[in-house]
Amino acid sequence: MRLRITVALALTLVLALVADVATPMSAAETPSPLVRAELLSETASIRPGETFWVALRQEITPGWHTYWGVNPGDAGEPTRIEWRLPAGVTAGEIAWPYPSRFPVGIAMSYGYENGVVLPIPMTVSGAVAPGTTLALRGQVSWLVCAKICIPEEAPVALSLPVTAETTRPNPRGAALIAAARRNLPVPSPWPASYVATPETVTLSVTARDLTPERVAEVWFYPSRWGTIAHAAPQRARLEPGHLTLEVERGQLADAATTPLDGVLVVTEQLDGGLVRQAFALRAEPRPASNARTTLRALALALAGGLVLNLMPCVLPVLSVKTLALVGHAGGRAALRRHGLAYTAGVLVSFAVVAGALLALRAGGEQIGWGFQLQSPTVVILLAYVLFAVALSLSGVFTVSGRFAGAGHALAGRAGYTGSFFTGALATVAATPCTAPFMGAAVGYAVTRPWPIALMIFEALALGLALPFLLLTLVPKWRRFLPSPGPWMERLKQALAFPLYASVAWLVWVVSQQTGSSGVAAALGGLLLVGFAAWLHQTSRGARLTWRRAATLAVAALVLGAVALGPLTAAVSSPPAAARADGWEPFTDARLAELRAAGKPVFVNVTAAWCLTCLVNERVALRSPGVTDALARRGVATLRADWTNRDPAITRVLGSFGRNGVPLYLLYPAGASGAPAVLPQILSERAIVDALNTL
Amino acid sequence: MSELSRRAFLAASGLAVVTRGSLVNPSSAWAAPKTGIAAPAFTASATTGKALSLADQRGKIVVLEWTNHECPYVRKHYETGNMQALQKEATGQGVVWLTIISSAPGTQGFVSAGEADQLTTSRQAAPTAVLLDPTGAVGKMYGATNTPHMYVIDKVGTLMYAGAIDDRPTTRRSDVQGAQNYVREALQAVAAGQPVKTPVTRAYGCTVKYA
Repeated sequence: MRLRITVALALTLVLALVADVATPMSAAETPSPLVRAELLSETASIRPGETFWVALRQEITPGWHTYWGVNPGDAGEPTRIEWRLPAGVTAGEIAWPYPSRFPVGIAMSYGYENGVVLPIPMTVSGAVAPGTTLALRGQVSWLVCAKICIPEEAPVALSLPVTAETTRPNPRGAALIAAARRNLPVPSPWPASYVATPETVTLSVTARDLTPERVAEVWFYPSRWGTIAHAAPQRARLEPGHLTLEVERGQLADAATTPLDGVLVVTEQLDGGLVRQAFALRAEPRPASNARTTLRALALALAGGLVLNLMPCVLPVLSVKTLALVGHAGGRAALRRHGLAYTAGVLVSFAVVAGALLALRAGGEQIGWGFQLQSPTVVILLAYVLFAVALSLSGVFTVSGRFAGAGHALAGRAGYTGSFFTGALATVAATPCTAPFMGAAVGYAVTRPWPIALMIFEALALGLALPFLLLTLVPKWRRFLPSPGPWMERLKQALAFPLYASVAWLVWVVSQQTGSSGVAAALGGLLLVGFAAWLHQTSRGARLTWRRAATLAVAALVLGAVALGPLTAAVSSPPAAARADGWEPFTDARLAELRAAGKPVFVNVTAAWCLTCLVNERVALRSPGVTDALARRGVATLRADWTNRDPAITRVLGSFGRNGVPLYLLYPAGASGAPAVLPQILSERAIVDALNTL
Repeated sequence: MSELSRRAFLAASGLAVVTRGSLVNPSSAWAAPKTGIAAPAFTASATTGKALSLADQRGKIVVLEWTNHECPYVRKHYETGNMQALQKEATGQGVVWLTIISSAPGTQGFVSAGEADQLTTSRQAAPTAVLLDPTGAVGKMYGATNTPHMYVIDKVGTLMYAGAIDDRPTTRRSDVQGAQNYVREALQAVAAGQPVKTPVTRAYGCTVKYA
């Protein structure tokens, strides 16, 4: 070993001299290599059907470096392996540990000095017979540079016995590979975005748990050449909870519009000395001048709100409200006020929900649109409200005895409050549905400062309120409504059923969130609501004392039902059991592993309370055509379930500019390709087409 | 549908980029000149001893080739005859081909004027001229980081291409066959008065041995 280093050092000197006298030099003439390559295995034996890890170890002559495979920098070439593997064994892509940087004048290289261990996943098929020995061979080629560069190559080989029993460990290989794994970038826990001007790129990372005083250095290694100027200084600014990094822009023109991927290496001064951590980061572009894009987001939000009216969650609530307009006898002014009260209800409740969302996010919570439904308590309360509305449509009870019909109620003062709360109800009922256009608008909103974010949410609200508002404001349009008649009562009763269905679905959501005890509590509560409704109605004709007693009883029953809701929140959620449908639970690690193994991956980000997601799963994702295509192309399928709160999934959504479900991603085979984002409304055709492009 | 709107978003934010070419790029130590705007003006001495300036080449398409004859990547293109073939093809169509050596004295690839001419003869190369840039002034002006690093300038002095010679960033001689040659593509597009499809690529090779 010592001899080899001495020889290598001597060689370095010779090379430097040779370079000085300007004599051509090439690998063929190099008597001894500058890098020694060796193939290691984590295990001493392998088992059919399993994935095992090997690693290429490079021992590099001091003063020289080899290159990072993700992006070697302005010059240089990554280390490559051409495998010659026995049948049944497939090699994945190299998992690259984070690099060091080697500035050379106006150029910058990214790579490794002294030595590096490059882990590689290998898969051995189940068909390989135990008792045989597999010889893994490869030809490794690399470029090694100091002031000058030398291409080198060498064969590597490793023989491993195949056994049926548990694999035997290989202590040296396992130790070296474990050490190398500690240097692999981990998915960044922090949302990131960037702003590009013609001259600079400013990366902004919400690094919550980073203590500014402790940070000795930060450096961003982009995954792609041309996004930033590699050799330029990176000006880091650290504030509590936030990191910005300003660097000169690279030469690629599309660098300002595509996500910026890379590895952020943070060096912290801890008690034990300097500690380096590497994070795989994806920053979404954020336009520097945002007036135009904000306007665009506002328009998208408005359109999204309009379409929400047609979604199954909102339509019944709204139809009933519209029915009240039919045959309405009140004055125009009263009608207008109803329209405005309803609009106010929608706007205020959107402001409340969006305000809470933004405040919680500012406080560091990893949540997104629909977050309120991640609480079983809210889901249960929503079920009660919808159940009560449905009962009233069925005629079990009427809300107010003072007014005979909906038309009259509209004219009264209580009617205005009613209109306001219909607006609130429409908002609450709308949350489980995602309309087209909404995803992009909401995803954009949450990356903006709160006043702009709130404006976008209010545009969404206005879109939701607009159809009804216009019907009340423009009397002419009411001509399109049918004339009144007994059909109205029947339609009203019929409309109760979509609401009962919604209740049934919400109870199922609760079952997903909390298990059977939550369902029991929810059903008990529904029983109390039903009883309260009946009691309220039957006591109306009774004497005053009875009426008062009944009112008290109804209040107590409703309180009881409401109290049952939070009880379920205490119940721990059931373990995320892998459902027997071939979809594995999503984790960053699992995705990285599958990608490292070179497999294409489909990620379905969904939630039980997301109606759009469920419809997509039913009509598209589980259709025989899609199941078939997935299997044929060997696509691994991961389900990221956002039914309950999950910061890791919120981060995934954020990295694609989203803040709500559904999100469908199709990662191509190979560890480096960017995933395709599929539309939020899926069809069998769309998925199969996307799969065909793999 | 939402994917559509996402693209629309990107397109909207891309407007900032489209107008970029009309802006004057402030000079900086790290920023390479952008394509689509005027190529930086320079004057350097050729191996003949005469000074040659870019401004004098107006009306002709110009290729700049950074080189270092000892770099394995440069050798790949010269030992296979690939570079010489491209030089002959280009100069045959009236293109001015300038080979530039920015290696500082005492570093790899540094040569005297006589040695440079000898290399041209022995390698049967066909540049219009070989420029000596031992101070690295021209190289740094162009942000030349690699050998080979290639640039194409149109007849009115606009930088049209900057980057690699082809899409095979290796030293393997067998990779020359079948590679996509970006410089040839750029020359054809510029000659036809069309935009260059890939105006910027990552150059590959050895670093330029600046002082």
